[in-house]
Amino acid sequence: MSAAIRTTELTKVYGEKNALESVDLVVEEGSIFGFLGPNGAGKTTTLRILTGLARPTSGSAHILGRDVASAGNAVRAQIGFLPDVPGFYEWMKAEEFLRFAGGLFGIGRPILDERVGMLLDLAGLADVDTKIGGYSRGMKQRLGVAQALINTPRLLLLDEPTSALDPMGRKNVLDMLMSLRGRTTVFFSTHILADVERVCDTVAILDRGRVVAQAPIDELKARYGQQKVVVEVTGGADELAEQIRRQSWAAAVYRGHNGAIEVTVTDVGAAQQQIPTMIAARQLGLSRMEAGEMGLEEVFVELVGGVHP
Amino acid sequence: MSGFAAFARKEAREIRRTWRIWVLPGILLLFALTGPVLAKLTPQLLGALGGDQLKGLVLPTPTYHDAYAQWIKSLSGTALFALIIVYGSIISAERKSGTAVLVLTKPVSRTAFIIAKAVVHSVFLAVLVVAGTLITWGLTAAIFGQAPGSALWSSSIVWLVFGVLFIALMTLLSVLIGSAAGAAGAGLGAYALVSIAAIWKPLGTYSPAALTKVPSSLLAGNDVAVLWPVLTSLVLAAMLFALAALTFRRSEL
Repeated sequence: MSAAIRTTELTKVYGEKNALESVDLVVEEGSIFGFLGPNGAGKTTTLRILTGLARPTSGSAHILGRDVASAGNAVRAQIGFLPDVPGFYEWMKAEEFLRFAGGLFGIGRPILDERVGMLLDLAGLADVDTKIGGYSRGMKQRLGVAQALINTPRLLLLDEPTSALDPMGRKNVLDMLMSLRGRTTVFFSTHILADVERVCDTVAILDRGRVVAQAPIDELKARYGQQKVVVEVTGGADELAEQIRRQSWAAAVYRGHNGAIEVTVTDVGAAQQQIPTMIAARQLGLSRMEAGEMGLEEVFVELVGGVHP
Repeated sequence: MSGFAAFARKEAREIRRTWRIWVLPGILLLFALTGPVLAKLTPQLLGALGGDQLKGLVLPTPTYHDAYAQWIKSLSGTALFALIIVYGSIISAERKSGTAVLVLTKPVSRTAFIIAKAVVHSVFLAVLVVAGTLITWGLTAAIFGQAPGSALWSSSIVWLVFGVLFIALMTLLSVLIGSAAGAAGAGLGAYALVSIAAIWKPLGTYSPAALTKVPSSLLAGNDVAVLWPVLTSLVLAAMLFALAALTFRRSEL
């Protein structure tokens, strides 16, 4: 399978700040790729370079096999882009803006009529007759998604597409992204882990301008996500947590909600065998004990060194 | 090319649908409508205002020439200042609002973005100047009974070249300076410099600086060289548009 996006040692320096440091990314065509990172990690900078809005200090970025720096309209004709805060001509109405966007791609009348109607429905703006200047942030975001799809792009680049949406709008956008699987490559940046876990097949995690992990989600969880055991006891949880922390199979011990002990383990079998023994020896009551894989959130926190509750 | 045409159509619609349709057209329409009337009434107005103090002063009878002079003076003064202020944000407003990002990530090159604006706004100014000149011409004929056209039209068209030059300058300044007020300030400064430069004879004869006085001279029937300042102004306008496009291509959004 060919790469829809390939960056090689992509670096961007603003003054003395390294916004991106030797970022190597490969996004396979047809995939839904989540570009995860905390605020300020360099996600928007990467997207600005990929769309030709900014130039890299060094390294290169190729989209659909062409160098972004020199390809110009040939690349732009095949992509759809939604910036984090889309800016519209506020004197236009939604339909007018979509027709304008279609016109920029040279889309002719009968096809444009059909697409505009379909995208207005998708954005939930078919019955809205006010000018864009009167729209809420969520409405603008939905229109932003719609305009990014006007040319049925081979590659859809979205910067935080769900950040301004209410739960229903968020669900609609994520459903729409899932419906594009296999037909359009979707590359979207976000800090909302649940969105990535729900729709993406591949993910890259960016932290302080560096890619700290890139793999299919399952592989990432298997690679970084040791298994986890959650234990709830009726009392004496602090002492029990301390005893668990000293075991060789316990990689990390956290205190979760309601005093639960969350243990990242290297050997889930040993943990499942020994934790009940410890509880019995301390004569504590066992309320709950579960073993499972770490989620993307834990992987993310582990990789970017976030503070776990 | 389709992207260029679609963007140019958007520019034209934006003029019709926003404040742009009121400011420059409003100013030019006002001058065109009031110029001949004010020229006709000037002696009476001065007489009424001056009272007994101007009793001994004999004011010449106004002619069509006074109406034309009023129009050209308005173009060279207030209208040009308004143009400089209005176009101080021609590019920076699109960058600030984020609309440039949505447009320029589609198949529209940055050069096409600049050229479309240059063409549409130059045509817009031409339409305004032609309309204003027609109104001035017609009203002058109605009020004064005679209105020879050649001096009025040649003066207005020469001023139009000067106006297009300033659209080009403001386009470049708006690429370079993010603040609309800053770009307008720089534009007004440039106008002051051009006016001063016109004092030096070679510049005042052959360069665009000559266009600060050529329209009035033409109107007065003086024998002035028009070709050189018009040619150098058009060349400079093209260079300023090209420089704006080149600078815009190199800038990050």
